Order: sequence, then structure tokens, then C-alpha cells
Amino acid sequence: MNAVPVRPEVAVVGAGPAGMAAACSLAESGVEVLVLDEQPAPGGQVYREVEKVHEQRPEDLAALGTQYRAGLELVRRFRHSGAGYLPRTSVWEITAASEPELAIGTLHDGAAQMLYPRHIILATGAMERPTPFPGWTLPGVMTVGAAQTLLKTSGLMPAGRIVLAGTGPLLYLYANQLLTAGTRPEAILDTRPATSMGALASLLPALAVQPGALLRGLGWMRAVRGSIPVSSRVTALKALGDERVASVSYESAGQSHELQAELLLVHDGVIPNTWLAMAAGIQHHFDQRQACWVPDVRGVGRTSRESIAIVGDGAAIQGAEVAILQGERLAHEVLGQLRGAKGPVLPTPVEPPALRQQRLLQRFLKRYFPPSAYFQLPPDDSTIVCRCEEITAGEIRKVAALGCVGPNQAKAFTRCGMGPCMGRKCALTVSQLMAQVHDVSVEEMGHYRIRPPIRPITVGQLADMPMTGEETGSAADPPGKFASANSSSSKR
Amino acid sequence: MYRRSAAIAEPVILWFEDRKIMAAPGDSLAAALLAAGVSVFRRAPVSGAKRGPFCMIGNCFECLVEIDGQGVVQACSTEVRQGMRVYMPRGQSPGEGD
Repeated sequence: MNAVPVRPEVAVVGAGPAGMAAACSLAESGVEVLVLDEQPAPGGQVYREVEKVHEQRPEDLAALGTQYRAGLELVRRFRHSGAGYLPRTSVWEITAASEPELAIGTLHDGAAQMLYPRHIILATGAMERPTPFPGWTLPGVMTVGAAQTLLKTSGLMPAGRIVLAGTGPLLYLYANQLLTAGTRPEAILDTRPATSMGALASLLPALAVQPGALLRGLGWMRAVRGSIPVSSRVTALKALGDERVASVSYESAGQSHELQAELLLVHDGVIPNTWLAMAAGIQHHFDQRQACWVPDVRGVGRTSRESIAIVGDGAAIQGAEVAILQGERLAHEVLGQLRGAKGPVLPTPVEPPALRQQRLLQRFLKRYFPPSAYFQLPPDDSTIVCRCEEITAGEIRKVAALGCVGPNQAKAFTRCGMGPCMGRKCALTVSQLMAQVHDVSVEEMGHYRIRPPIRPITVGQLADMPMTGEETGSAADPPGKFASANSSSSKR
Repeated sequence: MYRRSAAIAEPVILWFEDRKIMAAPGDSLAAALLAAGVSVFRRAPVSGAKRGPFCMIGNCFECLVEIDGQGVVQACSTEVRQGMRVYMPRGQSPGEGD
């Protein structure tokens, strides 16, 4: 294994658009930067395996479309930037602010190691919003994002009777990708509410600056609606089956329906993946409109911890284009902080027009595709909320009504959020359900306390971790001596 | 549930329970099993209900399987290896009709 710099100037967590852009910009400015990423290749989820697909699977590349292909340019720039890059590496801890030194716990190829960067940039991206509904734990019910990941990583296309349910740009993008590849889902069960005045009001400003993107989106919607039956204002969604999903029932326009389905793909937008930021003690707040927790951010990406910045969809859902622009700007902000001892801190870099335009587009998309009420507060008490421990919405409502004061106490009472996913799939729902029962804001109700390790690590791996003195490499190592982004990363 | 857009040129052969699985190099274990028609990876520890992959990006922990010599891992975040022996997590019986 190549020696890893134990004390890089900057460690970036995540090699998606935001992480790559920040790392490129910092490396190009001569900063020793090390990017840690769980995947085998750079790209994040949005550009996942774009190099491999480009080289080996031209048909899949055509189906995935131009926005996916555009990621190749950034990945190539990253490979040549001189930034250090550790693929297949998970991060399970960032030391608390009360600890004497900023450190980041990594796990690569079964070996745990602590790194001591001066500054950390979190670019942990997004995850799909939890979509609890009766039957969502049945095999054969997956997220739209999961199915798209299977297409990117292994060229898997859904086969047989496929139904898509929920809403959001990704659902329509994926439906369009399927049609391009010659696969036609049986139906789209759209849970989107009626278009609001706010959505209409934000359409014109977006159309004025981003006509191309909006027309492209309209093109997808039209292509999809022309080929796949779309039910609107769907509610009462249920997946049915004994051992795996066999059918899906729902209501639309006051009528009940049932469809055979062997694969039900669900989606209701994405939310920031805040687990590492929360475990690091960074302050968050609840964004009412987006119905999700977001970190408190000042400037481009400064958080409540001076040496930890956050950027991309992990900071706020704005999409890949904004993530790239913000990654570049964050690099300047971090550079200012790092070089602060030698001169005045650089002012927050000005917003380029492209960023403002993208924000207007994103604002419209968020208002056009608000979170579906049906998934936010599951009306059916039998709905499993915590998939790991199989705790239902009814049980959460019950303990809240009994006087349970918040999600952490509900956890102690019911075991919700105590399974292997650490609450990733239920935290949002539990906070929202309890807030509803107590008739307070979700912000006031709070979130599970997230503690490290946030990624699986064995006691043996922790015990085998080298002590500080034994570690390879040193602060004196010049960049380039360790695994750089353009070296071959495939070991298996 | 899923089909491959391209045939496998040089298969990686592994076993899930007693079943021989042909995977493509670079596949995640979860993708390889799904492509081979396996939809049930484990049973929920509380009710025993059957479960399979859900999110495919390492967040939901629904795709936990046991690998000989490696213990319980997330199949979506584990790359296939030649000769790998994979089971439903220990103490859990294979599902009927898989």
C-alpha cells in the first residue's frame, strides 16, 4: 500500500462533484489535499462509474444521458490535479471539538487509521428521502436511486413488471433513461400534490435564466407521459405480497387501483446525508420547506466548527452543477483560512452568475416537487418506520402520546433507530411523527444524537489501528509521494 | 427483476448458499445477486421477514450477507471475488422459493 499522508493540509470526504471540485482547486493552488471516498472510482453517486461506463458500455452511456457524461470532464481533471485520493475508504469518525486534535478515522481494506488534517471538507452528498409506506420492506421494493446505481455500476436494467412510485426529478430522469434503453415501466404513480402558486411564481425567473435545462426537463416529462401511464395525486400506496412484492395498490382521483408488479421503485427526492457532520457535532437546523435537516452554514461552507467545512448536496440540495461551482468557491474560502496566519482572511468569493442561475432553477424544482405528505407522516399506523427494528408509525405515535419527549427517548423506549442503519432510514420520520403528536416544530423535537463510529468497524480493526508514532508518512512528505488521483486504484 | 445490458465476458464465479452465481468483474455483490435473480438476502432479526437490497449506496443496511472469512458485510459495498462463498447471515435459513 502506498504511504498515506497522515497530516495532509486538507482532507476531503467524498469524491462526488463538490469534493472533486474543491480538491482540484486546492491541489492546483499547491495545497496538499487528500480525498477519501467509499467508492472504487471518483464521481460520487451522480457520476458513479462514469469512466467505466464511458470505456466499456456505450449503450448505457447513451441511456444515462448528457448530464451524466458531463461528469467525465471533472473526473479527468481530478485524476490529473495532483490531489491525493484514497478510494474504497470509509470514514467512521471525526474527533469531537473537545478533543485536543482534529482527527479523522478511516477504514481502508480492513485497516483502520487516524489522519490528522488541518482542515476537513465534508462533501458527503445526498441520500434519498425515507419513504415509509405499508410494504416498503418487502424484497422487490427498492429506491429509484438504487435501480439507477445498478445501471451505472453493472449495466442492470429492470425487467418484468416495473412500477415507479413517488415523485421528483430523479424519478422522471430515470423513467426517461429506461425508455431510451427500450424498457417500459407499467406505470408511474406520482404522489406530487397540485402545483402550488409558489411553484408557478418561481417558474418564470428560472425560465428566464435556465431555459435549456427546463425545456430538457419538460422534454423528459413529455416523453415519459407519452409512453408510460402516469397516475396523478397518488396516495394510499401499498406494496403487497407474502415473500416479495407481487402487486401495488393505491388511490388516485378518489378511486382504488391495484397493479401487478415484481419491482416497485420508489423515490421522493433527496436530502443531505448529514450523518458524519452530525457525528462531528456540527450544528444543524430543520429546513421546513425541504422537510429535512441541513447544517448551519456561513459564507460558502463554514460550519459551527472552524476547521470543518461542508459543501455540495450535503450542505443543501442544489444538484451537481451547484456542487461543482460551490466546491471551487469553497476551496478559495478554505485557502483563505489556511493562509490566514500570513495575511488577512480572504473575503467570501463573489457568486458567479452561473451559480445564481442554477439556484433559481433549483428553487423552482423544489417548489414543483415538494416532499410528498403521504411519506412524511405515514397515516397508516401499521407502517414500519424503523426498518431495522421493525418499529411502526403507530408505536412512535403511542410513545410520543405517552409523554416521550423526543427521538432519543423514543429510541430508548422502542429501539427505533438502534439497528445497523443508525437511523438513516427513520430519523426524519420519527422526528416528524413526534413533532406532530406534540404539536411542536420538528426543529424543537430534535434529531437522534448521532455518534461515531458512523460506519461499521470491528473491535479488532480498532485494536489493530497503528498508534500515532507508528504511522507511515509525515507532514514533510511532498504531495505526489502517496496514492495520487491518477494512479491506478484497482487492486482486485 | 433485473437483466444485464451486456453479456458477461469473463465471469467471476461465486456461491450464494448452495447456488452458483455468475458475476461480472467489478460487480458489487448485491448487483451480482440481483442480476442472478436473488431477491432475498436475509431475514429481519425481529420478525424473520425476508429482506433484500433497498438503497444500494450503503445507507440502509438491508443487503447484509455473510461471507466466509469476512463476517457480515453490506453486499452493495462489497466487490465480487472469484470463489467467494456467501450466505444469509448466520443463524438464518435460506428462504424458500428463491
